[in-house]
Amino acid sequence: MKFSKRFKSILPVIGLAALYGLIMLLKSMGIANNYHIQILMFAGVNIMMTLSLNVVNGFTGQFSIGHAGFMSLGAYGSAIITTLILKPSVIPASMEIPVFLLSLLVGGLVAAMVGYLIGLPTLKLKGDYLAIVTLAFGEIVRAGLRLIEPIGAARGMIGVPNYANLAWIFLFVALTLFFVRNIIYSRFGRAWIAIRDNEIAAEAMGIDSTRYKIISFTFSAFIAGVAGGLYAHVVSFIQPDTFSFVKSSDLLVFLYAGGSGSLTGSIVGALLLTSLPEALRFLASWRLVIYALVLVIVMLYSPKGITGGYELPFLRITRKDIYENRGKKISETPLQETKEGDV
Amino acid sequence: MATILSVKNLTIKFGGLVAVEDFSVDVQEGELLAIIGPNGAGKTTVFNMLTGIYKPTSGSIEMDGKNLVGMRPHQFAAHGLARTFQNIRLFHNASVVDNIKMAYTLHSSEKFFPALMRTESVVEQEWELDMEVMRLLKIFNLDQQADLLSKNLPYGPQRKLEIVRAMMLKPKILLLDEPVAGMNVAEIDEIASLIAQIREKFKMTIILIEHHMNFVMPIADRIKVLDFGKTIAEGNPGDIQKNPKVIEAYLGGGYHAIA
Ligand SMILES: Nc1ncnc2c1ncn2[C@@H]1O[C@H](COP(=O)(O)OP(=O)(O)OP(=O)(O)O)[C@@H](O)[C@H]1O
Ligand SMILES: [Mg+2]
Repeated sequence: MKFSKRFKSILPVIGLAALYGLIMLLKSMGIANNYHIQILMFAGVNIMMTLSLNVVNGFTGQFSIGHAGFMSLGAYGSAIITTLILKPSVIPASMEIPVFLLSLLVGGLVAAMVGYLIGLPTLKLKGDYLAIVTLAFGEIVRAGLRLIEPIGAARGMIGVPNYANLAWIFLFVALTLFFVRNIIYSRFGRAWIAIRDNEIAAEAMGIDSTRYKIISFTFSAFIAGVAGGLYAHVVSFIQPDTFSFVKSSDLLVFLYAGGSGSLTGSIVGALLLTSLPEALRFLASWRLVIYALVLVIVMLYSPKGITGGYELPFLRITRKDIYENRGKKISETPLQETKEGDV
Repeated sequence: MATILSVKNLTIKFGGLVAVEDFSVDVQEGELLAIIGPNGAGKTTVFNMLTGIYKPTSGSIEMDGKNLVGMRPHQFAAHGLARTFQNIRLFHNASVVDNIKMAYTLHSSEKFFPALMRTESVVEQEWELDMEVMRLLKIFNLDQQADLLSKNLPYGPQRKLEIVRAMMLKPKILLLDEPVAGMNVAEIDEIASLIAQIREKFKMTIILIEHHMNFVMPIADRIKVLDFGKTIAEGNPGDIQKNPKVIEAYLGGGYHAIA
């Protein structure tokens, strides 16, 4: 009993490690090359970005359409640390990993802080204000970064140390999934879903909708910032224009095609739609047509996205899990009458 | 008996329309106050003001010596006013248990970072919450449907779930807006006994809006009658039934139901 419970909880970790091992094996056999690995790393970053967007759009029912802006802040925030301040030439090699992790934290915090500052006035308002404000925000960040000479202005930053490898990406995707899942199945996630499903009822049931929306938005921005930081250290070269509205709308497509409100959907959507255009590269210009066609077909036949609302077992926490975790079977739990004044 | 809610001269105007005028009442602890009146009389509007959804043009709503007017709806809930809606407003894509857990947000002491890590103490809290919700569902005979999505419940149980959800807020006053609208006779009886149970077990103070006279008359301690936003009568069910003004207001269609 105890053993199987432990085993169950580390199963996803084993699975992930096995997947990583398999990819490395394929690489050593020459079946997978660096280009494939690169695509996988982009897909991983996109999974994190889609999960971030899912928190706000999928679970809280708000509509952010400028999420690339947060990614951009994270990318620049962390790249400034590793490329300009604590650059490889001034730190011992043993400090590279701590500096890298610190830079990701900084990237996440910068994005989260800006997210908080935008969310504070905006999320009090009803309706589509968030969409308009986030759209403008994304473009302001891009325009602003183009003007700052010390970080390369429109030319961008080159020579960002390529600290991120596939293992780091795997680790961060897994951590993001773990954290997002946990928070969704807590008081916070429940409050978000209540606001999404019926904001008036949520308020009437004592949920401070503004506060929980701000928490959602800030948390989401943090994840996007970390993802941006990882991205910078995958590509070594970042430019304001990488994080344009096109990037934001790609993320929206990943989210809704995969299935919003589902973590599995974010993984599938980002993974599939990041690799599909690459796989279709041999079709030259036709590939965009095929890509669009696939999207239309998905949305027509499965409005809830590719996953249709399905969630992988380790990405949800059922009531049964809660009871098993306490070493009790759900059917054994006492369902006795409440005593007077119990509630 | 003590007054737990004191409402004075609530008035609300929508443009030129005075939807509710000078609505006043002192609600006593443990009583069941019914608000009746023809369609469009302003009953729901009174509830919307008592739960912070509408801000009255003038008047005051006092609880624990504090005027709640101007506060946000979640603050009204925190002060102990919980409601159901005339048009069902459940969290449709959440399960029955989760709907009720959502109304516990206010009381939950789960913190963000421990929830992120899902620490032992968070699991413990989640476990205790689940057991509490299951006990409540059992009392109201909804435990068999615990894991259903609320949108997949039949209409009657959906109305019932709204009441249970409001109870989870552990309110001081429960406001029910037409709890038996659209229900069949068996379901109406079930809600009547549910309300009796809530009063008996939890000593709950209830304000109830209802059209069905034969539902209201036996259970109400006191009735207020609204017509075109004005309070036209107030008293115990026996007096209200005989009141000529009330009979007149209902002459359109409800007269037979009253008599
Ligand atoms: N937000 C609003 N804007 C404008 N008018 C409103 C608004 N809310 C309510 N009213 C008006 O106020 C009046 C009272 O409506 P209310 O819903 O309170 O009636 P009611 O007594 O609950 O009726 P019913 O028995 O049909 O539920 C109606 O004329 C209605 O049109
Ligand atoms: Mg009404």
